[in-house]
Amino acid sequence: MAAPSAAGLARRLRAWLPRLTPVRWSRYGPSYLEPDVSKELYQKPLEELSEEEKEKLKLRAVHPIKAAPPSVSTSVFSDPMISKFTNMMMKNGNKVLARSLMSQTLEAIKRKQLEKYHKAPEGEKETIECNPYVIFHQALKNCQPIIGLSSITRGGKTYQVPVPLNDSRKRFLAMKWLITECRENKHRRTLMPEKLSQELLQAFNNEGPIIKKKHVLHKMAEANRAYAHFRWW
Amino acid sequence: MLRSLRGLVCHPQKLDHRYALHTAAKDCLSSLVKQDVQTPAEGPRAVFYTSENDPANHAEHHEGRHYTIPLEEVKAVFPHGLPHRFQQQIKTFNEACLMVRKPALELFAYLKKSNFAHPAVRYVIYGEKGTGKTMTLCHVVHYCSRQGWLVLHIPDAHLWVKNCRELLQSSYNKDRLDQPLQASFWLKNFKTSNERFLKEIKTQRKYVWGKRDSTEEGRPLGEVVEQGLARVRNASDAVGVVLKEIKQQCHLGFFRLLVAVDGVNALWGRTTLKKEDKSPVSPEELTLVYNLRKMMRNDWLPLDLFQQLHVLLTLRIPELDTVFQRRSHKRGTEGHCWRGIVWTIGTSMGNSGTASGGAVVTTLSQTGSLFKPRSAYLPQELLGKEGFDVLDPFIPILVSNYSAAEFESCYQYYRHCRWLQHPRAHTEEGKEELRFLSGSNPRQLERLAGPL
Repeated sequence: MAAPSAAGLARRLRAWLPRLTPVRWSRYGPSYLEPDVSKELYQKPLEELSEEEKEKLKLRAVHPIKAAPPSVSTSVFSDPMISKFTNMMMKNGNKVLARSLMSQTLEAIKRKQLEKYHKAPEGEKETIECNPYVIFHQALKNCQPIIGLSSITRGGKTYQVPVPLNDSRKRFLAMKWLITECRENKHRRTLMPEKLSQELLQAFNNEGPIIKKKHVLHKMAEANRAYAHFRWW
Repeated sequence: MLRSLRGLVCHPQKLDHRYALHTAAKDCLSSLVKQDVQTPAEGPRAVFYTSENDPANHAEHHEGRHYTIPLEEVKAVFPHGLPHRFQQQIKTFNEACLMVRKPALELFAYLKKSNFAHPAVRYVIYGEKGTGKTMTLCHVVHYCSRQGWLVLHIPDAHLWVKNCRELLQSSYNKDRLDQPLQASFWLKNFKTSNERFLKEIKTQRKYVWGKRDSTEEGRPLGEVVEQGLARVRNASDAVGVVLKEIKQQCHLGFFRLLVAVDGVNALWGRTTLKKEDKSPVSPEELTLVYNLRKMMRNDWLPLDLFQQLHVLLTLRIPELDTVFQRRSHKRGTEGHCWRGIVWTIGTSMGNSGTASGGAVVTTLSQTGSLFKPRSAYLPQELLGKEGFDVLDPFIPILVSNYSAAEFESCYQYYRHCRWLQHPRAHTEEGKEELRFLSGSNPRQLERLAGPL
């Protein structure tokens, strides 16, 4: 009698305080640990492990582990940034298409750079970067804004207030700008991999429309410096 | 005296002192020594590379290695034969490197030893998807063009049975349909690859193209090709004329003929084309396919056969006597009897020519095929009953996935060309992962290595 009514009471309490209790919450208890998919730790024989690693393994032996999500892979070629970008490019859950577009983009970047490499004279060959992953990461880094703008309403008027951004927000904005630019500002017949590879190479060299957008944002933040005190966090 | 060349080549300095050699063997050895002295200099490249660029000299010890085709030769020999991804690789790396594999070496051995007086042997290269059938065919085409053969290369027969926008009713035969665009495209590429033969081969009949156009007897075949290119309406008929002339004249002794068809199962399958009244078109109603099917039969014998038959009968050749005696006692074997006579005549005729006869090398392909399941790769499945009966008897050549050595060679080649850029791809784990994911299938490996 008491147990079901206690659970029912908790549920009714939660309904009464909708904003104070989270709607989406993890079914895992506090003792659950994140899965560790790196093979290196588990393939080492016992003698080679350091003290910390032995402690970690002992901890993992007694705690329950959460299920690994399908996006995490043990492949040596998997890259979390590329996975995140692929997910953002995905439409209607068509991961197969998004992933193939991503691999075609990387191949296109590699081909363009290799052609440039083979045509360049001996002295310049070292300066040409042919690794598409390096280009991708550097391009995203170049596109990340340092400071962002937030709309804050005071006295009926909305002000654009300069605000610091955390890392995940910066990465998100860079990827979002890149994808929007490639979807909208291109000729009807150009394919996504071609346009994306072009934009990534331009961003790698610190030129192109996305870098321009970042600079425009920085200038707006600089111009609205006066409203910075509106921020309360 | 000379047991194994490999053993001797390992000790180049001891050659002249220890062994008394025949001069010819000495020259051969010295050339081999020069070649092998090159490879230790580019030591790591010896696994996947060979400097022997003539396919005629490719032997078993070249197996698994890549050889280069000079870019000018690529443009001349392969105006339309190479797969699209391979063309992209040529553009990126600025070189065309082909791997020497067992099926190609097997084919070379057969071609070298075949008796060209006999009717042409038909070879069918088959295998699972992506194992390298088209590349084997291209290797054979390169070998034959180096040997000076006339190469009739149809890059993909599937392109002739699907996606055709313009279908004209043929002026020659009302039941058939012409494909002007495909025919003119093929004629253009044929002209690029076989310029010198088009000047040497002469027509044996007069061909009338229209009210004002005609080609006289004895004109070079290049004129027929020009006619086909200039008047696109007659292009399919021009192709038919070219095929007929070449087939008739290949036993005269001026050239050897290689008919290389990729995707030969398209000729006996179904088409996706429709006539104006929306009824489906079957392949024999297309002029190009009809003429190509005639090339696939190995009855490449001269026109005035019956005249020669008459002459030979009056002379009473002993071989013909045996043929008559063996067959005449069986009833209803007249057809076989005639075939026996035809074969004997062909042999005696063909022995006179210096370079005559040829071969038909074809590839089966599921990739572009219509109405065939993805898992089909065997000749019976892809050709169907009709095609198999026409091509039978043929020599089947199986092309399978990479062996361990071939995979290693391909991997090293990609590393050397800077195609594998990912730092983890250069590790052992990366290599094992590539091997596992691709299943040693050449196409899958190439596609996986693309983004890496």
